[in-house]
Amino acid sequence: MSILDLKGLLVPIGALKQMGKHPHTINFPDEEKNISDRYRGFHHNSLEDCIGCGNCSTICMNEAIDMVALAEIEGGKGDSGLRPRVDYGRCCYCALCVDVCPTGSLNMTKDFIQVTNNPYEFLLTPGKDNPEAKEKVSFKADLEASLNIFDRVPMRELDPGERVKSFAEVLLGYNEEEARREANRCISCGLCTEACPVHMHIPEYINAIAQGKDDEALKIIYDNNDLPEVCGKVCTRRCEDVCAIQVRGEAVAIRWLKGYVTETADNADLIKQIVTPEIREPNHYKVGIVGAGPAGLTAGYYLSLRGYDVTIYESHKDPGGMVMYGIPKYRLPYDSIQKQVDYMVKMGVKIHYNTRVGKDISFQEIYDNSDAVFLGVGLQDAWNLGIEGDDADGVMSAIDFLGKINSGETVEVGKKLISVGGGNVSIDASRVGRRLGAEVDQLYRRRIKDMPADWEEIEGAEDEGVHLIPQAIPTRVIKDKKGKVKGIEYVKAEMISEGGGRPRPVPIEGSETIIDCDIIIAAIGQKADYSLLPEDIADKLKMERGKILVNDNRQTSISKIFAGGDAVKYGNVDAISAIADGYYATLGIDKMLMKKE
Amino acid sequence: MSNFKKETKILKSLKDVFEIKGSVKSDKRISIKADKKNVSSILLFLKNQKGFIHLNHISCVDWIEQNEFELVYIVWNPKTRLTVMVHTRIKRDEPVMENIDTIWDQANTYEREFREMFGIEFPGLIGAKEFILEDWDNIPPMRKDFNSQQYAIDTFSTRPGRENAQNVREAIQKRSGEEIPDFAKKYSRD
Repeated sequence: MSILDLKGLLVPIGALKQMGKHPHTINFPDEEKNISDRYRGFHHNSLEDCIGCGNCSTICMNEAIDMVALAEIEGGKGDSGLRPRVDYGRCCYCALCVDVCPTGSLNMTKDFIQVTNNPYEFLLTPGKDNPEAKEKVSFKADLEASLNIFDRVPMRELDPGERVKSFAEVLLGYNEEEARREANRCISCGLCTEACPVHMHIPEYINAIAQGKDDEALKIIYDNNDLPEVCGKVCTRRCEDVCAIQVRGEAVAIRWLKGYVTETADNADLIKQIVTPEIREPNHYKVGIVGAGPAGLTAGYYLSLRGYDVTIYESHKDPGGMVMYGIPKYRLPYDSIQKQVDYMVKMGVKIHYNTRVGKDISFQEIYDNSDAVFLGVGLQDAWNLGIEGDDADGVMSAIDFLGKINSGETVEVGKKLISVGGGNVSIDASRVGRRLGAEVDQLYRRRIKDMPADWEEIEGAEDEGVHLIPQAIPTRVIKDKKGKVKGIEYVKAEMISEGGGRPRPVPIEGSETIIDCDIIIAAIGQKADYSLLPEDIADKLKMERGKILVNDNRQTSISKIFAGGDAVKYGNVDAISAIADGYYATLGIDKMLMKKE
Repeated sequence: MSNFKKETKILKSLKDVFEIKGSVKSDKRISIKADKKNVSSILLFLKNQKGFIHLNHISCVDWIEQNEFELVYIVWNPKTRLTVMVHTRIKRDEPVMENIDTIWDQANTYEREFREMFGIEFPGLIGAKEFILEDWDNIPPMRKDFNSQQYAIDTFSTRPGRENAQNVREAIQKRSGEEIPDFAKKYSRD
């Protein structure tokens, strides 16, 4: 190279022509690039909002998304505990996963650069591996853009003015088209099954309905619920509380879909023809069941399918227990229960009506003659109001009131009825009162939003003209000279929150108010009556706060006695818990007796 | 609110000449439905007589339930700024459509894409058979009966490290102790 190499000297000078132009080099400090607002880069998943339904993984046509367990995420009711992990070697950034995410936790970001030492690293868990991407979220599926259908198919119901004239069923039920449309909203994640006490196969039967296979759906339902029509109308539907769609919209109407399917089979023969359950050979074991409520009937049905000789003893003239006597007929018509019990009788369950254990037959006799006994006695006695004058003529418990109405007796309600309580039972009493022609006020000690009753029931009551008086604590029943109810006095309460618990109602002094009334219906809780049990058995049976203690198999401290329903610690005082108790007791009894052989 | 004078006039002139159904969709938008055999004449008429000199777009929809493909030709008049959408349906099991790249050259690209992605034949169409796909030996991928997911499973290998993936339904079932009977399993989500 000589010093006279002209080319080498001149070429760098040529670069001067670039002076004054905007540089194409990367700036330091890094300059944010201008990326479009809806850019679809790497995903970001808000791990707290994600419920692990797996809809993203199911929709992905490239099979790029896996659901994996993360150490920091613990599943629970309404959360599978799994989170999506994306294989970016496969992802084509179409964002369909974002469009179908029911919670909106999965989004895409403006991030598209991954720096790593490992050239084979393609698997990233959005949200866990890129928490900082939260700030760069660009592609979201809001309620309008989401492909989920968040609005429930509305249920047709009787006009409130019509309703109070009779005990006709209020809800008219889905027709076929509505049921298919509603069933199609389900994303089949199965989160609901965990919340259901008996773990019904919910996604399976809803899928069957969506595909137009109502018979198959009924068969799937009967696999572990023998009173589906009861549940289809009055279930407390904890499944819907954890529905994936419910996070941002209205839960899939699981209860009403079940109701739709059960109504397609309108008599016992048809149910038998459709369900065609497997019936085992008789095994000559005898099981005695006390009480033909949901728990007793369920245990009876599933035990007889397993070849047991089952006899149910029921003190009333009709089956169903609280479901029959405690729920007004406008919510659950008589035929609904009767049809299902007819079917059970066809499958071999024997029921002795008008047979009160402890009076018409002794418990000892059943105990001695059976290989196992199931107690499904429920909570028959109501708590008193516990205030001055609650012994007056015209103060009644809601259980007695509804029981009388449901057995066809008449109750003189007069012009004004006061119902006390905030649960479904007291709402039932109020709405029955309206149907009997009374004006109804309902007193509840807390706020309306604290009421344990279903919101549909509360709304229904208000539509029908029930006057709700929240934050009102009854203090005294006013009697006339003959000892009959004349009125009720209550104080207004203010809600005071202390510590972490729910706010407590505290009476406001001087706020006493008196309402004139003819009848007071109290629905503030019930207790069990164990007088049917002989002393030595009652002594041995372990109880806690008036409820029988049982293990997972619903077995009591006396190995031969199983128990379920409202009278058991396990039970949550609703029909589906009782059905679950009956079902698991069946498995428990089966396990115990089959082990003997 | 305009009374769609210009739009109605175009629609009427089309109806006078051809057997079509159609309506004014909205301001400056006219939609017509025509038989397959009339499409090229309608497009020529619109281009030469009515000033719709610009071919905006051609799109295709697979109506699998009705066993038909729908082709939509969108043309535009730069002077009046009107758009006409010409819809036509062809049979899915006999997917042949007249070639219109003699009217607009750029139609050639659209048609080659439809040939590859939907399997629609355009007799006389000049251009390599392979357009975007290479060595494709499956049914045309934009047809609705093409199972993309199955294709992805069959074609691509699973990356190591993905073995710990779980099925949501099974995970919940295991946790709660639910037993799904066999006759119900076919309705579970995979």
